[in-house]
Formats: sequence, structure tokens, C-alpha cells
Amino acid sequence: MELQTPESHTNKRSLARSTQNSSDNQSDNLMETSRVTPEANTDPEVQATLSDKDRKSLETSLPMWKIVLNQFFEHRMAVAGLVVICAFLAVAMGADLIAWATGLNPNKQNVSARYLLPMTRSEASTDTREATTEVWLEAHPELATKVQTEIVEKNLIPGVSNQDAIYELMLLEYAQSKPKIALLSGESQAAMKDLAKDFSTYHVFGTDEVGRDVLIRLVYGTRVSIGVGIMVALVSALMGLMIGSVAGFYGGWLDSLLMRITDALLSLPLVPVLIVFAAIDLTKLPFLDLFISNGNESIFKMVVILCLFSWMTVARLVRGSILSLREREFILASKTLGAKDSTIIVRHMFPNVIAPMLVSITLGIGNSILFEAALSFLGLGIMPPTPSWGNMLNNAQEVMYKNVWLAVLPGLLIFLTVVSFNFLGDGLQDAIDPKAVRR
Amino acid sequence: MVVILSYLCFGLMTLMPGDPVDLLVTSNPKITPADVARLRELYGLDQPMYKRYYNWASTIVQGDLGYSRTYRVPVSELLGPRLLNTFWLSMASLLFSLLIAIPLGIFSALKPGTKFDYAANFLAFGGIATPSFWLGILLIIIFSVVLGWLPAGGTETTGLEDPSFLAFLLDRGKYLILPIISLSLQQIGQFVRFSRSAMSEAMRNDFVRTARAKGLSNQTVIWKHAFRNALIPLITVVALSFSTVFSGAVLTETVFSYQGVGKLVYDSIISNDYNVAMISFIISVTMVLVMNLVADILYGVADPRISYK
Repeated sequence: MELQTPESHTNKRSLARSTQNSSDNQSDNLMETSRVTPEANTDPEVQATLSDKDRKSLETSLPMWKIVLNQFFEHRMAVAGLVVICAFLAVAMGADLIAWATGLNPNKQNVSARYLLPMTRSEASTDTREATTEVWLEAHPELATKVQTEIVEKNLIPGVSNQDAIYELMLLEYAQSKPKIALLSGESQAAMKDLAKDFSTYHVFGTDEVGRDVLIRLVYGTRVSIGVGIMVALVSALMGLMIGSVAGFYGGWLDSLLMRITDALLSLPLVPVLIVFAAIDLTKLPFLDLFISNGNESIFKMVVILCLFSWMTVARLVRGSILSLREREFILASKTLGAKDSTIIVRHMFPNVIAPMLVSITLGIGNSILFEAALSFLGLGIMPPTPSWGNMLNNAQEVMYKNVWLAVLPGLLIFLTVVSFNFLGDGLQDAIDPKAVRR
Repeated sequence: MVVILSYLCFGLMTLMPGDPVDLLVTSNPKITPADVARLRELYGLDQPMYKRYYNWASTIVQGDLGYSRTYRVPVSELLGPRLLNTFWLSMASLLFSLLIAIPLGIFSALKPGTKFDYAANFLAFGGIATPSFWLGILLIIIFSVVLGWLPAGGTETTGLEDPSFLAFLLDRGKYLILPIISLSLQQIGQFVRFSRSAMSEAMRNDFVRTARAKGLSNQTVIWKHAFRNALIPLITVVALSFSTVFSGAVLTETVFSYQGVGKLVYDSIISNDYNVAMISFIISVTMVLVMNLVADILYGVADPRISYK
């Protein structure tokens, strides 16, 4: 990491500030530049070479978003975090694509290949091979006879009869059958490849306790974990926005009531509370029957529970900024113009709280991922077979003696994601907050 | 507050799968529907929730905490040692994390922009983002499975015959090391960040500049003038972290099967043990709230500018 001296920062920042102010406050600008120039260019030669054109380009104001973006890109760790998050998002979105490309299925169990080490190949049992081959033979009788005669003609498997040819070929292990299939002609080669595909699978990260491929489960787990994290952060930010703005705008007893509730929830130890909520049997609440009819009820439940307990920070933040916004002139102006309360809040106040909210949403995603993982780890969150990073660690304590990777990998992904979101949030905060003193 | 909490908690418990009678039904196949109805009446399960809450609360107030259905002992007997265990674990880890985090935060605040500062900052971010249960698993893998230095879980060695006090302490300490580390890392992360920002804030104060101008030594300025002012915001953070520590303790205790109250809450909820679940939940949450209150009062003591009049 390159270490930047604090002086270089102050120079850049005061320059940026002076250019920003140049359009609306000439005297301020003059003062700023006069203060900056001696520091920035003590060398008289440099000062002399600063032509009018350069000076002008320095003094034209940058748009707000560009300043924010420039400052954001100065924060190296935040940029790194953004890259990692984009990579994870791509994996989450392309989970189906990855499953299709690798031919792996996150829920396919193979009891004969449990706890395989990383970078190993698993072979299906003889029973599965025979059963699948039989089904295929019945489905494609014409192609089958063609392939059978071809196998016998080319003498791929010595001394085999026509009927058994395909069976025998399929029973061979991957290393032996691959070159033989390659010798077949076009159509039959494709058919055999397709048939043999499921019998032998390569596991980059090995397999878990029931023989499912770990890599593809991690890929689908990415989708579930990050998805839950983002949904929780967004929904709870929305809840916090509403509660905070109502409390801040109207004040009085409503404010004190809402803030009492917020404080009370904030002081609760979260994990035990979440455990109690997560243990609730939703079927005992009759009005929820509609929602839980589909298979993803545990995800839905998780999002709702986490949302219930993560809106407080946003609510306090929003309330704080709305309290100060309420006293500003432009709010008074729109009030005098007869704007409705809702218009004032939504049109005039929300744009001013979006920036700090963005930071807290980013940090919230990281936290929600951690809480989801913790609950799933305890067996109360996302229910298997749906994979999530947390529930892949569920029986890590027993599993780690067999295959350490099963206990290490999901946690590593959680760690990476949460660290990235935290750095991103930190970077955003520094970029957005003009008062932030740079390290 | 506690009353509202307990009522809400009671309501939630009734929504959990299975009730005491269900448990009896599954263990006794000969039971008839008439028996079930009679049992429900006996336990008062056919009454509406507020009535049941009233009955339950009045027995609690009389000091009868009820029986655990899985352990077959009174809840009060079960709860006492568990509370003590959790108390030791959380206090030790709080102390440990403060001892590590505050010096780190202060030195990185005194030397901003150095390699040390970056390292401390990275440690802080890493600590916040590490799931404590996963860290626990990693520690078990490294120190118990691979190296075999420390026990993988438990609270104390069973069958230790009449140990001397020191041996007892050493034995308990051995089981505490890994849980404390895994519980502390997240706190260390938080505390490093806060103590760093509090310290750099304090160093910018006018009185620090005055003290330097007076010609006081660097040590005196830092420790007597800046540090004591940086402590004030730190106390708030430490106070707020009681609930986080307890949250973490639930997870750590489960990973290390440490017999604390957090594991009790979890186990009793999983095994449908209402009485234990409710009491231990309410007592532990109340404990955290009381800790918060105590810290609030201490805050007033530490900072004479704040008064509660």
C-alpha cells in the first residue's frame, strides 16, 4: 500500500474546495488560492509555468458527484472492497450459469463420495450408472443400437456383446472411459459424453457430509447470503427512514415514544432475541399461511426478523438530520408556499439524508450477513437444503476432523464479504462527508 | 420495561413449535385424546394467553421459577452456576479486548499515517468482520486438533479430585482461553476504532496545545491531558458493548460447549424447555440492561460536566 503524506492530501483537498467555491464566492476563492499556492508550488519555476489555461482548468468547479467519486477512489481499501463485492455479486447473479457450465447440482447427493478432499474426482456407484443407462437406452433405442454396433466394430471394449456394450462403457471410470468415448464418431460421441457426464464429477473444493459439491453450494450460498443481506439492509433502511423522519419532523410525544422504542431495541442483546424470534413456528400464526406456502419460507422469515431489529441505527440517523433540516430556510420557504407535510419530507428532506443513509445501508449489509450467518450456524436461520454460508458451517464442528476445508471456506467468504462492505462504507463516508479529516 | 419484555417473551414462547403436552404425547403412545385435554387443563394451556401470563408471573414473583423439563431440576438451581460462568467469560473477554484495543488505538492515533496505524486499522476492520463462531471453529482446528494444546470445548475437567484453588483456577483458565479470544476479536475491532478516533479528537483540543506550549513533557501531555479526555467517549462505547458481548457469548458458548447462560437459552429453546428458556432469557436480558444503567451512572461520575439532576 502506498503511504500518502498528510500534506499532499490537504493540498489536493483545499484546491478542490477552492475550485468548488470559485463560481459563487470570488473573494473566498482568492483567499483560498493565495493560501494554497505557496504551499503547493513553493518552486517559483512551477508557479511561472502555470499558464492562464491551466489556472482556468484548476478554477472551474467540479460537479459534486465528481468530487465524491474522486475522493472515493483515493481510498484504496474501499476500491478494493468494491471490486470484491462486484465479483461476489457477479457470482451470485451467475449462479445458474456456473451450475450449467460445470454441470454440478447443489442438491445432488452422492453418499459414496462423502468428505472428498479438494481437487478430487468422485465416481458414481454402479447402481446409479446402470439405472441411468437403462433409462437412456429406453429413451433412445435407435441411437443406442448405432452406438452399440460402433463400440463393437471399433473393438473399444474387447469381447463385449452388442447389448452390453453401452453398459460396459459406462461402468468404466472416468480416466478409462474418456479416451474411448473420444474415439467414437460425432453423434454417438456427443450422446455418450452427455450420458457419462453425471457419473464422474470433479470437485474443486471437495464434497460435504452427504457428498454434495462444496464449490457449487458456496456459489448458491453467495446468492442467498448476499441476497438476504442486501434485502435486509434496504428494507430496514426504508423502515428507519419512515420512523426517523416522522419522529424528527413532528417531534413531541410521537418523537419521544418512537425514540424510546428505538433505544429499548438498541440496548437489547441481539443474538438471543433473534434466536427467540427465529424459533417461532410461523404456522401458529394463521394469517401468515399465504406467505409460507412456497419453499423459501425460511429466507422470507429471516429477512423479516432481521429487519425488525436493524432499522434503529438508520432511524436515529435520519431523525438527527431531519431535526436540523427542519430549522433551515428552504423548509420554511416551502412551508410558506403551502407545501404539504408529506411533500416537505419526501421532496425536500429525503434528498438531504440519502448520502449518510447510503453509508449506513452499506455497513448494514455487512452486519446483516453476519447475523444471518450466525443464526443459520445455530440451525435457526436459512433451512437446508437451501445453502447459505452460515448453514454450511452448521455442523462444522463434527466435519472439521474429516475435511478442514468444509469449516474454513464458508467463513472465509463471510469474512471477505463483510470486510469489503465495511471498507466500502468507510470509503463512502469519507467521500461524502466534506468535513471528514483524512488519515 | 422488564414486565413488557417478559410479557412479549411469554407471547413469543407460546408461538414456538410444540407445547409441554405434545412432548408427553410423543413419549407415551397409549395416551388418549381425553387424557390430552385433561392434561392441557391441568397445565392451564386451554386458557387465553393473558391469563396464563398472569398465573406464570405470579408464581415467579413468589420466587418459584419452575422446573426444567429436560434437566428435571428447579430452574433456579440450573441458572445460578450458568450465570456465573457467563459472567466470568464476558468480563474476562471485555477486559482482554480493552487491554489490547486501547493501547493499539492510542498509538495509532498518535502516529497517524504510519505503517502501525494502517496495521491497526486493518486489524480493526478485520476484527469487526470476522464471524465469532467461525473464529472459534478456526481456533479449535488450530489449537486443539492440529497442535493439541488446549481443550476443544467444555467448562472444566470432570473428575478433578479435590483440587487446590490454584489448580482449579488454572483448569478453568485453560478452558477459557479460546472462548475469550474468539469473543474478543470483534470487540477489539470496535474499541480500536473508537479509541483511535477519541484520542485523535482529544489531541486536537486547545488545552493540549496549551499544555505543550507550557513545556510539559510529551508523556504528561498524552497521558494526563489527552488520554483522560479520550476516556469519556470510550466509556459510552464500553457500556453499549455489554449487549454485544452477551450476544457474542451465546455463539461462543455454543461453539465451545461452554456451560454458560447463553448456551442454556439456546439449548432450552431448541429442546422446547419453556420455563428455562423464558427465565434465562429474561434474566440475562435484564442483566444486560442493568449493566447499561450502571455504565450510564459511571459515565456521570467520570465526566463532571454531565449531571443527572
